[in-house]
Amino acid sequence: MIRFPAAQLLRIVAIAAILLWSLAPIGLGVITSLSTQTDVQAVPARWLPHHATLDAYRSLLGGSGDFRAGGTVSESGAFTHALWNSASIMMLSTLAILCVAISAGYAFARLRFPGRGALFWAIVATTVVPVFTVVIALFGFLADAHLIDRKLGLVLVFVSTTTPLAMWLVHNHVKQLPTEPEEAALLDGCTRWQAFWHVALPQMRSGIAALSAIIVLLVWGEFLIPLLLTSTNASKPVTVFIPEYIGKYTTNYPLLAAAGVLAMLPPTVVALVLNRHIRGMLSGSS
Amino acid sequence: MGMLMVAPAVIITAALVVYPLIKGFQTSLESADTAVGGQPRFVGLGNYGDVLRSSTARDAIVHTVIYVALAVTFELMLGLIVAVALHRAFRGRGIVLAILLVPWALPSVVSGVLWRRVFDPDSGLLNSMLQQLHLVSHPHVWMASRGWALVLIALVHVWGVLPLVSLILIAGLQSIPEEVYSASAVDGATPLRQFRHITLPLLRPSIAVALTIGTVWAIKIFDEIYVLNGTALNTRSILMEVYNTTFVNADFPHGTALALLLTAVTALLAAGYAVAFGRSTT
Repeated sequence: MIRFPAAQLLRIVAIAAILLWSLAPIGLGVITSLSTQTDVQAVPARWLPHHATLDAYRSLLGGSGDFRAGGTVSESGAFTHALWNSASIMMLSTLAILCVAISAGYAFARLRFPGRGALFWAIVATTVVPVFTVVIALFGFLADAHLIDRKLGLVLVFVSTTTPLAMWLVHNHVKQLPTEPEEAALLDGCTRWQAFWHVALPQMRSGIAALSAIIVLLVWGEFLIPLLLTSTNASKPVTVFIPEYIGKYTTNYPLLAAAGVLAMLPPTVVALVLNRHIRGMLSGSS
Repeated sequence: MGMLMVAPAVIITAALVVYPLIKGFQTSLESADTAVGGQPRFVGLGNYGDVLRSSTARDAIVHTVIYVALAVTFELMLGLIVAVALHRAFRGRGIVLAILLVPWALPSVVSGVLWRRVFDPDSGLLNSMLQQLHLVSHPHVWMASRGWALVLIALVHVWGVLPLVSLILIAGLQSIPEEVYSASAVDGATPLRQFRHITLPLLRPSIAVALTIGTVWAIKIFDEIYVLNGTALNTRSILMEVYNTTFVNADFPHGTALALLLTAVTALLAAGYAVAFGRSTT
């Protein structure tokens, strides 16, 4: 394409706009979390706080009982516990989903067995079912099994609703890998299992990294499922905890923003560290 | 060995997705008034009719159609601009792409929280800015009027989904060979004509994927609405109406009926796009 100086300039403006659009709300959240309620309520609005303060974080993590969040008292240690709930649910779910999805995705892509095509498409088809529909139907079953308001119940639901998508992504990834190394291993006398475990799995390393990141982000960010299936602080993850800081009439924005900033730290780190892998998998196959 | 390796996935999907769906369908055909302990009565498709006649559900359907239309339009238009700006190599491209991805990675509850302060009627930054510019005389309660609320909520949703749509379109642009452009440039085509007659047609498969993903994500919008405006009637989406019917009013038959209608529409739309664009999304 012929290079126009105007086109070049246009592109620089567009890139600056993209960066501003992506970062401004996050920056605003960080600034708000360092403000006081007086700063936030100032008229006309004050963009920067008079004195940056960590009070919001202190009351969130330390839990001073007198810090009122629009009617909701932030209980000592409750938010830290919510972070722990999110982390433990995320780790257990991710581990379980990876095991099930990698084994099935690989087998559907490489092995021949009766019913392969039909089973594969049946599982993939369930990815269009809104998760919510499944959860309503599962509610009775979970209640009977005493898994409501239990982290284990959430893990079970995440595994059942995320496995189809994860399996599909693994399948597409394996399809793109060369078959020769495995064939060579089989000729050399490896069993099918050994060829999978020692040859194919190491080849899939970058795909598995991307998949793990995507599952971690999906599970960490899920709101509706835990909103339905948890009722006490014992099992509530951060996403369910945060909206409770929104007051009916006035909202303690510094506290709310601090909670948001803490909840977005893990996903931001994952997205930045593994972004090359994630981008590859998102643009390649889904 | 193949059977053994797929068994866990097949069992989980069958027991925890397909079986509940069938049970759910059964529930949706029963009468709602079984609270007194009586046997559920078979009412056929009656619940579906009730749901489609209820005014709150109808409003929720209208809102959802507006959310989807706004979200998909913004996502495709902005996504094309982002993709055109970022698909060629330049210094710092890796960092820009990494930053682009971040809004998608954040929990949608957190996106809602970040934008909430902007739209707050009393201490909001949007009102303050408009007042300082003398564009409005008194603070506007954005989430109270239906039109503005729907647009702004859709915008917050787009903030989270745009990265995904952009990445798909960038990959699509990169798959178009450079020679096509140089050849047409020799023939005297301007960049704008190139975009209309080369880029857009060759980008069709990527646009189809982006359209499908944008629709499937927007049709189940819930989190952003919940954080920005609670379950208020003027912004309620279908999923939120399902939530309200099922868990607030404890009416599983009607809630499930609406949820299954949403499922059917989502599946039909996804299949429709695949057929319309002549290529499956895999």
